[in-house]
Amino acid sequence: MNDHRSVGIVMIEDDEGHARLIEKNIRRAGILNDIRHFTDGTTALDYLFHAPDGPAKSGPAMVLLDLNLPDMSGTDILARIKKEGSPLKRAPVVVLTTTDDKVEIQRCYDLGCNVYITKPVNYENFAQAIRQLGLFLSVIQVPEVEG
Amino acid sequence: MQGSSTTPSAESPIGRILIAAMVTGFLALLIAAATAGYALQQGNRHTDWVIHTYRVESVLTEVRRLVEQKETARRGYMLAGTRPFLDSFDQASAALAPRVAELRALTADNPNQRAPMAEVLRRLAALDAVQRMTNSLVDQGRGAEALRRFRGDSGLERVRRLRETFQTMAHEERRLLNLRDAEQSANRRMFSVVVVVAGLLLVLVTLISFLTVRRYTRELGESRDALSTLNATLEEQVTERTADLALANEEIQRFAYIVSHDLRSPLVNVMGFTAELSAAAQPLAELIDRAEAEAPQIVTEEARLAAREDLPEAIGFIRTSTAKMDRLINAILKLSREGRRVLAPEMIALDQLAEQITDAIRHVIDDRGVTVTIERPMPVIVSDRIALEQILSNLIENATKYRHPTRAAEVHISAEETRGRVIVAVRDNGRGIDPRDHQRIFDLFRRSGQQDQPGEGIGLAHVRALAYRLGGTISVESQLGEGATFFLSLPPSLSIESA
Repeated sequence: MNDHRSVGIVMIEDDEGHARLIEKNIRRAGILNDIRHFTDGTTALDYLFHAPDGPAKSGPAMVLLDLNLPDMSGTDILARIKKEGSPLKRAPVVVLTTTDDKVEIQRCYDLGCNVYITKPVNYENFAQAIRQLGLFLSVIQVPEVEG
Repeated sequence: MQGSSTTPSAESPIGRILIAAMVTGFLALLIAAATAGYALQQGNRHTDWVIHTYRVESVLTEVRRLVEQKETARRGYMLAGTRPFLDSFDQASAALAPRVAELRALTADNPNQRAPMAEVLRRLAALDAVQRMTNSLVDQGRGAEALRRFRGDSGLERVRRLRETFQTMAHEERRLLNLRDAEQSANRRMFSVVVVVAGLLLVLVTLISFLTVRRYTRELGESRDALSTLNATLEEQVTERTADLALANEEIQRFAYIVSHDLRSPLVNVMGFTAELSAAAQPLAELIDRAEAEAPQIVTEEARLAAREDLPEAIGFIRTSTAKMDRLINAILKLSREGRRVLAPEMIALDQLAEQITDAIRHVIDDRGVTVTIERPMPVIVSDRIALEQILSNLIENATKYRHPTRAAEVHISAEETRGRVIVAVRDNGRGIDPRDHQRIFDLFRRSGQQDQPGEGIGLAHVRALAYRLGGTISVESQLGEGATFFLSLPPSLSIESA
């Protein structure tokens, strides 16, 4: 990620195991940014938009989003982040999910997702993909949040 | 409703009733006609007899008149002795002979008339003899003697007897006539009875036929109404059921998708943490190695076994199992995804498709030493190319895979259009499939025979699912050790609504 060290990573993922594996592999790629993990949509949205230390109030962030959440669909969160007037509409969102349904992928891009990644089932591929994502994260520029 | 009960064929009850009615009607008419003919004949005969009787009577009367005239003329001649009386006598005499002959002829057939007739002849002859005798006396001028003789024997008695005999004959004729009249009226009555009976029978038959036909017509009408109602609702029913089926199918697809999809998530964890475990076991094993080299006393047997054998073994088993589970889940996912894919029907030349598929797996075919022949010509079909390709490549791949241990492998592909279906047959001379497994092999994860070939038992399940989607069916004919033939039956043109 860019030299702005405060870019936080918000991971919304209901599966603790997945979250742990993702974090491990991102760390292995050399990413040291702060990673906040949420297992449901409501608290995640609350943090994103309302928390004093959340991205909407202070500083840039990027979102790793799973589509299968217990309380709401990941696409709802995506729509909230990307909708017109949202302070976070330029924040990069990486959808990271097991679904590889064509319609779902199209829908996510239509809603404004920046990257869509299907979690490979094979762990070697999974680890590989997350590490590459980490390398990708280390080079992309994240815009400042609009005041 | 059964066709036999509504069709008026000879076998049906209605047909039998109609035929019986017609036969009865014809018989009644025939009997009436025969009776009429008979009655007519009888009538004619009766008329002849009546005429005969009247002729007998008239001749009888004539004879009586002539006899009276003759007698009167004789008496006149006797009294007056003049010529005209004699002429009248001769005239009557001449006329009498043929009349008597006629009378004789007319009554010859009746034995009852023979005796009176003979008597008449005898008496006439006797009378004639007396008359001629008195006449000749008058001729000779002996009129007084003639009169004298006449007084002795006036012939009155003779004439009276003759009259009686004539009366008897006339009565006899009358009696016969009455007899025949009675006979005739009996005939007429019989004829009337027969005609009435035949008429009644005809009316009855007509009524039965009419009722039968009306009942049949009504039944026909009812069945036609039922049929048209059925027809009208059939489309509705089909649409309804198709919708139900589509819904059920969709439900299953969604279920399969969700299940397989949700199973993947924990599997990623299992596999991921197994990899982590494996990675973590590595430094532990190295530590044991180093400890063993530097301070053997701290390494227990248990620790060494755990690090070198138990951990790698456990991790190995977890990995192979999860890998298998992964393949199975992927198979289900693939099937459900295939079920949701939108079909795109297009014109496909089956021979070209078969050629393409064999070319695509040419290396496998050559490796396995299989001869593949494609029988031409093949029909052209309108269907989904990708689905058809997958079906055929699965079938051809299978045919080359399960070979007979001793025979040179041959695969034969043919296709033909029969009775509105296109049948594609893939025949091999391989090891064959036990008939007990013919249904099973199309089930997911089920295989048959010796498990010496790689595979998960997915291919044929996939084939069947695809065949169903294309509106077709798949079946197999095979005996163990005899090779197998798979038949894919497809509609010649895939309609999008049924997909």
